[in-house]
Amino acid sequence: MKITVAGDVKEYADGITVADLIVSEDVETPAYVTVALNDEFVLTENHATTKLADGDNVEFLYFMGGGGCGVYK
Amino acid sequence: MVDFQVDETVDITDVVCPITFVKAKVALEELDDGQVLLIHLNDGEPVQNVPRSIKEEGHQILKLTGNEDGTYDLVVRKAGG
Amino acid sequence: MAFTNEQLERYSRHIILQEVGAGGQKRLMDASVLIIGAGGLGAPAALYLAAAGVGRIGIADADAVDLSNLQRQVIHATADVGKPKVQSASESMLAINPEITVETHRMYVSASNILDLIAGYDFVIDGTDNFPAKFLINDACVLSGKAFSHAGIIRFQGQLMTYVPGEGPCYRCVFRDPPPPDAVPTCSQAGVIGAMGGVIGSLQAMEAVKYFIGQGELLTGALLTFNALTMEFRKVRLPRRADCQVCGAHPTILEPVDYALAACDLDGGG
Repeated sequence: MKITVAGDVKEYADGITVADLIVSEDVETPAYVTVALNDEFVLTENHATTKLADGDNVEFLYFMGGGGCGVYK
Repeated sequence: MVDFQVDETVDITDVVCPITFVKAKVALEELDDGQVLLIHLNDGEPVQNVPRSIKEEGHQILKLTGNEDGTYDLVVRKAGG
Repeated sequence: MAFTNEQLERYSRHIILQEVGAGGQKRLMDASVLIIGAGGLGAPAALYLAAAGVGRIGIADADAVDLSNLQRQVIHATADVGKPKVQSASESMLAINPEITVETHRMYVSASNILDLIAGYDFVIDGTDNFPAKFLINDACVLSGKAFSHAGIIRFQGQLMTYVPGEGPCYRCVFRDPPPPDAVPTCSQAGVIGAMGGVIGSLQAMEAVKYFIGQGELLTGALLTFNALTMEFRKVRLPRRADCQVCGAHPTILEPVDYALAACDLDGGG
């Protein structure tokens, strides 16, 4: 089946879950990535049970710190 | 001959291009649509460029007259009225 | 208020734009922005907003300029090392544009002072380098009904989004809770290309300008990501989280919260 991951259409085995996709995409800090599936967030606790379907659109949103220091202690 | 009454006057002889047009544009922005602005401007670059730029913005040039001191008076009706 | 000839000249490239004009420039001159963090993001944002003539700019940071800051924090110079960042930033902004007012806040932001701090400004720019501060700013802005720009940078990556009350998700809708201390690297630990602050911080300034002149589309309901290695910008649509703890239908966060900071961020560096 075809899934669009971060804008790229890729081929995946039928029946994979969000958690499987996170592993096969080698997502950095997988426990802290936000997943949007077809414009809906998937809760972290549901990654392993959420199955993907042909034509799905998945986005990974990462925590990004950095910018300026000395503002919080 | 177009009938008009000048609503506002702006002197742009104290600035140089491209601020001449900016000053005229700001003066036009402060008018209501259809009101008439008299722009006092210098010979040379200003008189060559300012009327053209104002026309490009869609306003109507009513009159351009040369004064004896080498300056010009440009009369413009603000677009939209 | 009429423009002086000097102001017409200074702001001519703005005024000449159909989308800005005299009206938009006046709105910028009447506007106020608070920049939290005078670092990699805050530096370009502050410089561009000062140059744009934003009438009153607040800058909050407790640190002093360090030599390691200068690779990216272009608002500070080598001679400023050791000086309070807010002072150095203020001097640079006023050197560019002496017409504006700069307010310096040499302080750490916290749950106890953030609401008072942001209350005096129309728009907030989050230029902080750690997640507790980012969540704190988000919550305070949501609770105060204030628009703000979030951004983060690390390595060759950057991201930003804009929150406007009632017009889309907040930072917490997307990321829910701060990661545990040290679980996700910040740029003080992972490094960042200096120009990344320039790209993303300038985009934050762009969002603030657009917010004030009321033109175009803001990054509300979207996260813009930038990868400098591939030179790809992506605008990812963001849904709202109906059960968001702070902006959802039944909020559980009713006042700002302090979170623990990663130990390695305590001495700053972002």
